[in-house]
Amino acid sequence: MRTWRTGVYLLGSLLSGVATVTALPLLGVPRLARLWAGWHRDRAEKLLGTPPPAGSATGRPGGRTSRALLWLPVHALTGLTLGLAALLCVGNIVVAVIATPLWWAFDPRSRPRLVVDVPVPDWTTALTLGPAQILVLGAVAYLAFPPMARAHARICLAVVSPLPTDEQLAARVAVLTRTRADVLDAHGAELRRIERDLHDGTQARLVAIAMRLAVARQAFADRTRDDQLVEDLLRDAHEGTEEAMTELREVIRTVYPPILADRGLDGALTAVTSRCGVPTRLDIGDLGRVPAAAEATVYFAVAEALTNVAKHSQATSASVRVGRAAGRLSVVITDDGTGGADERRGTGLAGIRRRVLALDGVVDVDSPAGGPTAVTVELPCGW
Amino acid sequence: MRVVIAEDNVLLSTGLELLLGRAGFRVAAVADDAAGFLTAVREHRPDVTIVDVRLPPSFRDEGIRAALRARREHPGLPVLVLSQYVEQQYAAELLATSGGGVGYLLKDRVSRVDQFVDALRRVADGGTAMDPEVIAQLVHRAGDPIAALTPREREVLGLMAQGHDNNAIGRQLVITDNAVHKHIGNIFAKLGLAVSDSGHRRVLAVLAYLNAPRSTGGH
Repeated sequence: MRTWRTGVYLLGSLLSGVATVTALPLLGVPRLARLWAGWHRDRAEKLLGTPPPAGSATGRPGGRTSRALLWLPVHALTGLTLGLAALLCVGNIVVAVIATPLWWAFDPRSRPRLVVDVPVPDWTTALTLGPAQILVLGAVAYLAFPPMARAHARICLAVVSPLPTDEQLAARVAVLTRTRADVLDAHGAELRRIERDLHDGTQARLVAIAMRLAVARQAFADRTRDDQLVEDLLRDAHEGTEEAMTELREVIRTVYPPILADRGLDGALTAVTSRCGVPTRLDIGDLGRVPAAAEATVYFAVAEALTNVAKHSQATSASVRVGRAAGRLSVVITDDGTGGADERRGTGLAGIRRRVLALDGVVDVDSPAGGPTAVTVELPCGW
Repeated sequence: MRVVIAEDNVLLSTGLELLLGRAGFRVAAVADDAAGFLTAVREHRPDVTIVDVRLPPSFRDEGIRAALRARREHPGLPVLVLSQYVEQQYAAELLATSGGGVGYLLKDRVSRVDQFVDALRRVADGGTAMDPEVIAQLVHRAGDPIAALTPREREVLGLMAQGHDNNAIGRQLVITDNAVHKHIGNIFAKLGLAVSDSGHRRVLAVLAYLNAPRSTGGH
């Protein structure tokens, strides 16, 4: 079926290639060239099963004239070559199909020839060479037609796919402008949170510690020294430093988890999945270079999602898949638990969403009651 | 007791030297990177070592790797790893090396001098010193069987996992040796673990139990 469809496509390309060459002066007319290119693009898209790009209606049919004119020589070359190869293959199958049962009906001086140049003198030759030729060329067609047809279709789309129109570009710019503003807002909110944590927490604690130490020094120098007071002040200051360290560690963790700096995304995800209470499979594809902000977001999404899995899902197994395709970094966390995850109930999913939005990404939570649950995070990777 | 330190931050290494000197240790060498540390260990054959996780040049996990390498080169070399944060993965990697004498503590713990020195001695004697935070993370995420422990038993479990022996546990919780013994018996029965002696093996058994993935939905 595949062979048939691609064979028809290739032979069609041969015919249209011949037509292109013969009608070249006529196809030089921009309007006709665009129609001609548009027709080729449609059948190429149909063959490849690629839907026409969304919002491209304004550009149809035929796209830009320069591209449509470029298509003429390209098609004359590729369509004719690939089409001729297909025709040779199909033609010789047809010859063998006719010659095998009917070789005797031809005039002895112009007997049909099989396997390139062997005339058929008797039944033995006909019944061995005929089927052999059909089998071999059938196999060639089966193996070669699909890639040949797809190659032609791809070349066609590469040449005549409409470039985005001005309106489409303007719409894209508008979307990017808006999401960039959102991203800056989210980023600003994140900076303010860090500032607040440091200012209200660690900094305030250090001030309190410094005050206690100052008073302790004074009290120590007093003529009537109150040892108990000095001791209490020093103890408070000491405990204060410990609390400050704990808080600081937490702030650092929310900014950029140290394990990421130590071991990279691979190592950090290995660590976070291996400490999950539920057995978790980790599957990381080839990610290339990933910026620190995206790494941190992926790490948080996985850590938070797995915390939810361990706490609420009753799952017996979970999986984490991280991959990169079509300009997007995607993370999918699934579990076989009871589902019913509700974003409004806990802060985990909301936290993931906040961080992902800050990078212009999307979060999808699919968690029907009864399970299973899948949390999908996608980040655009224009890096 | 002779100590070799791997710490690149001069503020911290001088602090450690001061503190260890007062506690009766002798600091044989302070290395500021992994290679220097390994050389110093070969040269001085210390009784115990203290290693910071982050060391030059890349300030990633050189310290952990240096510690593991030192323990491969000198089996049983006591190593206490210090870090600004705790990561179970590192604890697991350290414990996976054969023999006792491993510690993994937050740097914060240094400020509790008595406890820190106690932990260092424990490591030097072939024992274990796991940071309470590592244990807390493990206990926190653990499922049903842990929930079946009484609060007191959970305290005892935590101290056991940190590497304390029965005496130390009794002292810290202000209970008799007998009571400690009873609690430990109950814990091992509830968790379904075989009772083992009070050394490094017991810590490993408890940590392995806490670390094992298991369903949160119970059994």
